[in-house]
Amino acid sequence: MVKLADPVQVKAIPSASKRALHRTNAIGWLFASPWAIGLLCFYAIPMLMSIYFSFTTYSILQPGEFIGMNNYKELFHDPLFWKSIYNTIYFTVFFVPLSIFFGVALAMMLNMKVKGMAVFRTIFFLPTLVPQVALAVLWMWLLHPNFGLVNGMLANIGIDGPAWLGGESWSKPSLILMSLWGIGQAVVIYLAGLGDIPEEYYEAAQIDGANWFQKTRKVTLPLLTPVIFYNLVMGMIGAFQQFTLPYTLTKGQGTPANSMTFYVMYLYENGFRYFKMGYASAMAWILFIIVMALTGIIFITSKRWVHYQGK
Amino acid sequence: MRRSKRFAFPILVCFLVMVLLVTACSTNGGSSDQAGEGITTVTMWHGLTSIDLDNMNKVVKAFEEKNPTIKMNLVYTESNEGSDQKLLTAVAGGNPPDVALFDRFKVGTWAAQGSLTDLSSMAAESGIRKEMYYPFAWEESSYQGKLYAMPMDTDSRLLFYNKDHFKEVGLDPNKPPQTIAELEAAADKLTIKEGKRFKRIGFIPWYSQGWLYTWGWAFGGEFQDTATGKITANDPKVVEALQWMTDFGKKYNVEDIAGFTSAAGTEEMDPFISGQVSMKISGNFTVKGIEKFKPDLNYGVAPIPTPTGTNFTTWSGGGSAIIPKGAKNVAAAWKFLEFLGKEEGQTLLNADSQISVIDSVNDKYGYKDDPIMKEFINILPNSHNRPVIPEGQLLWNELASATEKATRGNGTPKENLDRVTETVNKALEKYDK
Repeated sequence: MVKLADPVQVKAIPSASKRALHRTNAIGWLFASPWAIGLLCFYAIPMLMSIYFSFTTYSILQPGEFIGMNNYKELFHDPLFWKSIYNTIYFTVFFVPLSIFFGVALAMMLNMKVKGMAVFRTIFFLPTLVPQVALAVLWMWLLHPNFGLVNGMLANIGIDGPAWLGGESWSKPSLILMSLWGIGQAVVIYLAGLGDIPEEYYEAAQIDGANWFQKTRKVTLPLLTPVIFYNLVMGMIGAFQQFTLPYTLTKGQGTPANSMTFYVMYLYENGFRYFKMGYASAMAWILFIIVMALTGIIFITSKRWVHYQGK
Repeated sequence: MRRSKRFAFPILVCFLVMVLLVTACSTNGGSSDQAGEGITTVTMWHGLTSIDLDNMNKVVKAFEEKNPTIKMNLVYTESNEGSDQKLLTAVAGGNPPDVALFDRFKVGTWAAQGSLTDLSSMAAESGIRKEMYYPFAWEESSYQGKLYAMPMDTDSRLLFYNKDHFKEVGLDPNKPPQTIAELEAAADKLTIKEGKRFKRIGFIPWYSQGWLYTWGWAFGGEFQDTATGKITANDPKVVEALQWMTDFGKKYNVEDIAGFTSAAGTEEMDPFISGQVSMKISGNFTVKGIEKFKPDLNYGVAPIPTPTGTNFTTWSGGGSAIIPKGAKNVAAAWKFLEFLGKEEGQTLLNADSQISVIDSVNDKYGYKDDPIMKEFINILPNSHNRPVIPEGQLLWNELASATEKATRGNGTPKENLDRVTETVNKALEKYDK
């Protein structure tokens, strides 16, 4: 942790330089103001207003009336709300750990001192540059049950591939598979984390006679935990906001049988297609609370498993 | 107290910048209204591309020649969900375009929200009459007896069948199935299944445009009680239709069919075009795709089979032009809508591309001499439009979901449709106040 300057010191500054400090502060604020105003206008105010809207029948086109907790009550009786929560949690529970596992494994492989490593690193990062919509279309072809490359290859080794996106049981696993395609971003962060681990630790471990597995378990992984922690929190927040891929894949319908209706998709549907912006606002706040709570839990448990080098 | 002083200046600066921004935005909004002396600029939002845009430009040119005091300003807003949101926020923000192209399906919802300009009296003055259009087109442009949109183009749905496949299995390629029983028999003959996999499938009721609307009407059902306005998705005939779809699915095993109907549905991958499906329900809008991807496909179109082999029907949607509430140049905008809705505008607008909402215009195009297109035109006088209700989208989604659930054995057709009826009617209650 960086130690912050002691606030008492400010008082000790003579008044002339204090004025100068004020001036630089003001200039600082001036430069930051476009951002600050943007944050205020486009995030803070709409967010606060959506709290109010969540208690109304606001439809965007009409102000709507105050109905107290009715939106929230109605949500708890809405089967599709629960279905979308189930789908979202299902996705998060499988996707986030898998993305961490494959992300770390990939980063460790890409961290080896092999000739031409830059090429491999580029290859694994490239998929993240493909826009989600294009990625969805691409995978639609790959996973097509009848003409798709994946089932074609499975057929070659005698496996009768599933209907993938066409069936309820395989639609979410397919989506997880597709999403893993985009872990390049996380890999870059893991790589940076790996680069931060001092070489001396490995040398010391070497002298102690540790093998590769022991070095990984006792040196690499513990020292990578701050990065894993960061990716865990960001990955979880991202997974809860899953939208573009399933929306594009199912043309916004969440087919088959709503197995692809994710929370934010249903929120969008309510807000912009059913004009139930009040209802959608209530959903947004429930999502906010869930994500905040989970983030809080991760933060609390992190004290036990995240190791910072300084400590 | 020194603390508060330290923040006073930056806050003041923020405030001033904000005021500047807000005023800058608001002056910007009004600037596009007037261009030059006595000339009114009408801004129109559209999502047209290629031939449709060319045609629209022709309409605009002809219109401006006739109305030298009006200038049209066409603004492209993408034609998907994004354009909806743009229009929505523009209307909510009180700064909408003068005209917007609009899916007629949404007229009921937007009109119920009070976001569309009532065109009834202007239409009456200009001699725009109900009788000029196909009944469904006028119906879908109106909400509670008032006209809110100018219908522009339309479509219809028919049975597409592969004539080569028909010949191959000994069916008469010039006698497509007319009754549901004939359809089933043909489907049975055309299907080739090897183990779990279909090499070819004769027919899938819910594939492409085989929505429950399609079959419900084909079976003689009604989705709305015209007297009360209540939704009747559980009309016995609609239930019968869904029951038939479900039984059909059971016979061939729904999960096995999923491969053909899965999320992937682009034109290039259309299994009808690639010969993996022998018959399908689709609209005139796919004819161009067949011409493009497989021009030598030997196929025909026929009315959607019904239980009796009579009373053929279909349903239609299409585009329209609206004047949002809060538009600044309503009179000039109406001038354009009037031109668009009358024969001259219609002729220019839909040439070589769409079906017009005026029957005589379709005559002019020679559609009735084209073996494929004539079927789409001939069925139009008997076509339906989806119920014009504030919850049209909800009803659509609920029907789609009920179809999927029932055909996958998740509840009976009756149970599913009872629930649709209840859900939608409950959602409609709040508009009755």
